[in-house]
Amino acid sequence: MPKSQFMDPVELRKSGWVKFTDIPVNQYKKTLKEEKELYSTDDFLRIYHDMATIREFESMLLDIKTKGAYRGIEYNNPGPAHLSMGQEASAVGQAYILDKDDYIFGSHRSHGEIIAKGLSCIHKMDDATLLDIMEHFLGGKIYRVVEKLPHDTVKELAIDFLLYGALAEIFARTTGFNEGLGGSMHAFFTPFGIYPNNAIVGGSATIAMGAALYKRVNQKPGMVIANIGDASMGCGPVFEALNMGAMDQITQLWEEGYNKGLPILFNFFNNLYGMGGQTVGETMAYNVLARIGAGISPTQLHAERVDGYNPLAVIDAMRRKKAIIEEGTGPVLLDVLTYRMSGHSPSDASTYRTKEELDAWAAQDVLAAYEKKMTGGKVAKADDFAAMRERIAERMVKIVRLAIDDSVSPRMDLKASPNLISDLMFSNQKIPKMEDRPCDVLQPMEENPRVQKIAKKERFAFDKDGKPVSKNKVYQLRDGLFEAIIHKFYEDPTCIAYGEDNRDWGGAYAVYQGLTEALPYHRFFNAPISEAAIVGSGVGYAMSGGRCIIELMYCDFLGRAGDEVFNQLAKWQSMSAGILKMPVVLRVSVGSKYGAQHSQDWTAICAHIPGLKVIFPATPYDAKGLLNSALAGTDPVIVFESQRIYDVGEQFHEGGVPEGYYEIPLGEPDIKRAGSDVTILTVGATLYRALDAAKELEEKYGMSAEVIDARSIVPFNYEPVIESVKKTGKLVLASDACARGSVLQTMAQTVSELAFDYLDAPPVVVGAKNWITPCYELDHDFFPQASWIIDAIHEKIQPLPGHVPSHNFTEVEQLREAKMGV
Amino acid sequence: MATPVIMPRQGQSVESCIIAKWHKHKGDPVAVGDLLFTYETDKATFDEEAQVAGTLIDVFFEEGDDVACLLNVCVIGEPGEDTAPFRPGSAQEDAAEAPTPAPAAAEAAQEAKTGIAVAAVGADKPISPRARNLAEKKGIDYRFAEGTGPHGRIIERDVLALEEAGLSYTMAAKEDVLAQNGRIPGTGLGGRVTVEDAAARRASGGAYEVADVISAAIDRPETEEVPLPNIRKVIAKAMHTSLSTTAQLTLNSSFDATDILAYRKQLKAHAESLGLPNITLNDMVLYAVSRTLPGHPDLNALLTGDTLTRYHTVMLGCAVDTPRGLMVPTIRNAEQKSLAEIAKEAKALAAACQSGTVNPDVLSGGSFTVTNLGSLGVESFTPVLNAPQVGILGVCSITQRIREVDGDIQTYPAMGLSLTFDHRAVDGAPAARFLKDLVSNLEHFSVLLAQ
Repeated sequence: MPKSQFMDPVELRKSGWVKFTDIPVNQYKKTLKEEKELYSTDDFLRIYHDMATIREFESMLLDIKTKGAYRGIEYNNPGPAHLSMGQEASAVGQAYILDKDDYIFGSHRSHGEIIAKGLSCIHKMDDATLLDIMEHFLGGKIYRVVEKLPHDTVKELAIDFLLYGALAEIFARTTGFNEGLGGSMHAFFTPFGIYPNNAIVGGSATIAMGAALYKRVNQKPGMVIANIGDASMGCGPVFEALNMGAMDQITQLWEEGYNKGLPILFNFFNNLYGMGGQTVGETMAYNVLARIGAGISPTQLHAERVDGYNPLAVIDAMRRKKAIIEEGTGPVLLDVLTYRMSGHSPSDASTYRTKEELDAWAAQDVLAAYEKKMTGGKVAKADDFAAMRERIAERMVKIVRLAIDDSVSPRMDLKASPNLISDLMFSNQKIPKMEDRPCDVLQPMEENPRVQKIAKKERFAFDKDGKPVSKNKVYQLRDGLFEAIIHKFYEDPTCIAYGEDNRDWGGAYAVYQGLTEALPYHRFFNAPISEAAIVGSGVGYAMSGGRCIIELMYCDFLGRAGDEVFNQLAKWQSMSAGILKMPVVLRVSVGSKYGAQHSQDWTAICAHIPGLKVIFPATPYDAKGLLNSALAGTDPVIVFESQRIYDVGEQFHEGGVPEGYYEIPLGEPDIKRAGSDVTILTVGATLYRALDAAKELEEKYGMSAEVIDARSIVPFNYEPVIESVKKTGKLVLASDACARGSVLQTMAQTVSELAFDYLDAPPVVVGAKNWITPCYELDHDFFPQASWIIDAIHEKIQPLPGHVPSHNFTEVEQLREAKMGV
Repeated sequence: MATPVIMPRQGQSVESCIIAKWHKHKGDPVAVGDLLFTYETDKATFDEEAQVAGTLIDVFFEEGDDVACLLNVCVIGEPGEDTAPFRPGSAQEDAAEAPTPAPAAAEAAQEAKTGIAVAAVGADKPISPRARNLAEKKGIDYRFAEGTGPHGRIIERDVLALEEAGLSYTMAAKEDVLAQNGRIPGTGLGGRVTVEDAAARRASGGAYEVADVISAAIDRPETEEVPLPNIRKVIAKAMHTSLSTTAQLTLNSSFDATDILAYRKQLKAHAESLGLPNITLNDMVLYAVSRTLPGHPDLNALLTGDTLTRYHTVMLGCAVDTPRGLMVPTIRNAEQKSLAEIAKEAKALAAACQSGTVNPDVLSGGSFTVTNLGSLGVESFTPVLNAPQVGILGVCSITQRIREVDGDIQTYPAMGLSLTFDHRAVDGAPAARFLKDLVSNLEHFSVLLAQ
């Protein structure tokens, strides 16, 4: 919504035509003679070597999967193996011009890409660099295994290292690239610019776009490639990534030096099938995948189809596309036509294609065709190719023997060390700034209008006489969030924030008011309404080395980013065996006035997924302190905020919210009101209703309630709650989430186990009804109220003399509701 | 000037004493030498006399209170003087297991009568884990509780209400209530008496108030609860320790008492003229034991852990029956004492024990014990070791037995001996050899005396 861009009705209402330029389809027409100008004989042979290495690697995996043995070496590999035989020319052609600064992100079928990119990097790197990488990666664990193999050169050793590291990973060995925690579909090796492969179709599109964002914002060299399949074009997030990667503002609004198109190539390895679904003629509509580029932007994403069965054609295309990206007019879309000779997986019976079709493609096999071309062009003799294949096979035998030898390639011993994986779920580090350099800001912090406004506010909710300070004068919860965020922007140069309606608007609930004045576009911008791309790009941005604050406006929109939050954000730290960090703060806001799709508290869904930290501050002091901790850490933290309480002042922390920086550790609940007869544990805004209930319990029934604010959900220290329950013997848990499956249920169950002998009644959960959220006017019948808490105590814990319940907490009603599914 | 009176320390091992009786009360005039109070240790009773004259202006402890030694017990001075500085800082802490004062209990009982009404008493009442734990900890029978939680669940407050009402102390009442309850017809699951059953009974005029039953029970006690005096607790502990930590067994034998009976007859006839004390058969057994033991050092010993402590002298314990319970004073170096000396000392010690004035230090240090139930007609028994002593000899009654002498059947007086010994320290044969030597010495008592 920049005011600088005028939406002129006269211009916009004029008639005219959207014009497209022709999209090239397999237009490579160079002769071998022409190519000999560009490639030496060694180059030509290396291309064959790399393709043949991939072919042998995958043949080996296929033999092991289908015959239980490779060249007489018996082995059982129960894990997946999605092979790409037939696609070798596409992979090698792409990697040929890339170096370590170019990042590739792949799919479930990316063995070939890893090997191609690795071999390309090894070829380009000097021996000292290679040795340095090998000796230091995972403490030299992989290097120590392969250095014992006979080798003539460091590059030969590095090739062993690459193949062994990948194969050990596929075989789930601790000497794999990711200690066996990634496996076949997720293997990667960042020192060669090989970034995570993704078992979710199209999953790499948004992540790669985020990595490109990182390169652009932090001015890092190299380009980023999202290697995804033709069928992923059916995935919404892929479209979101194409659009967000090409969004106008980057070239039209971002500052000089940052206003170049994102350095990303959306590379579709188009093998014509999504598992068995045929993308041309059956499941998709594009006919030629490259067509899609024309629908994204006026540049048409420089889309082109290239013959992926010819490595020289692919290299040719890559050279041209790289130049476009370096010029700054990316992103680029490439439709690399290829064919998967192997099945989707070894269990694929090829029921969806004919033998005729397979034979026809086999007749054009990339390796045989290339060899024929080279021998025909007198580049080398057939014997040279045969000898090369023999050497590759010999190497593969050595690698396989090492990778299946339990004594040198052990698996994680979770019996001896049961915490190996749990220790990797979070990195738990404190890194205030991800890079040490000046922060790009537009003004000194003290000149910021919001900072100046906050300086005049009262930082405690009550004045000296105990009277409440007016809403306008009091320092609010949103101010707490703002102070933590602006502090980080002036401390960590890599920190960026984006989401829907962040810039100019200041965020839908005014948390970001003032940031527009403080920050340049490239650090703070509006994202398209693309929740998947917002979160997915945040994942890519963070795993590349930056820190980001992403925002989804409403918690309800999490569903749109389900995969990105649950499969990507949550998992890459542990799937990388701790190699990647994920300093991402994801803010979501729980609504209250906007009905069924704008009012939900989904803490339980996030808490259920291993690998995410989840907090829900309910006071300004906690908001600032917890967010400071989240922003200084290296783990993904989902911050829940409630729209009911953005304007509350600090009522608990003596002296109000400190002006300086402070952290509240994640995971520590806080006693907001001390009491002795019953414990009320709350999550989020329900705290204030619990305090009302506590007041009434005291005044009307002489019952002293201790109110504990959970503040964090993952991690969570139960000890203060247990201590309280030991004292009171009674526990009510309350939050605005629907009661079924709420985090309160887990907490109630855990307390039941840990404090059973101290309980005077079962812990009782008071959540919202298991309904749609009705209109605001019916709020009181849907969300937990103070009276519900008292009713629950009366009905299920300790009858209160003279109390007349307003809400039905009887067991009969509980059973009826469960039977009805409500 | 106000003068405090402390609880004296009687013997090094004594940490506290119980006030057995107050002879003066607050406000009474006191002269020097007046008996103030009587107090007892686990082993003996003592009197405390006033050292100064004046008025007993304050009393800090009541009869039955267990008072730590050296703590101020009362104050003698002039009426009106401040006694606060002498009041022990924390009487509660110092006095272990001080029972609740009687008036408070009475009040609680009164409250129970008005406040607590229980409908059903049964073991199947629902109860929260917290309430159950509390009941167990406080020794409260939660079956009396009226469950005021959801569905009549007994919750913490219900158990606390019972405790406040003093119901936790009335074991007798409990049984009575249970008996009463049996007369209420149960209509619940499996014939259980439910809250409704009791309510119906109340409604039909057969009002059932637990407090009534309890007060009735208090009016007509069928049993009484007697807190164990300290000495009883000590005996209980000692006996239990003995039986649970040693490997004791008893050998029974008897000897021909003709010789000692004859000797006693002679002594009786001449005791007065010779100035000898009254020498009993038991004294003669004590004498024989003191002379036999030195030849069997393993029995004149203590076994502690892996160490057997043999005595070079005979420290002869003699069990004495007193109104407070069993006491075992020690005759030291008995093997060096004459029969008359032993008889005299045994008599003096027994008297001191019975009057409760024995020096506590005399009640320890024994190496072997003799206990006598013969005078009560017991023919044989299994004395319990006075651990860690290795042996104890039980002296039994004299019975007439028959034996064949040169083809004739004769009767003779046989006195039973029951030797309990710790098999961990001594085997059966050596113990039997000691008994055999003792029997021989007693049968030839006059010869023994001559040695």
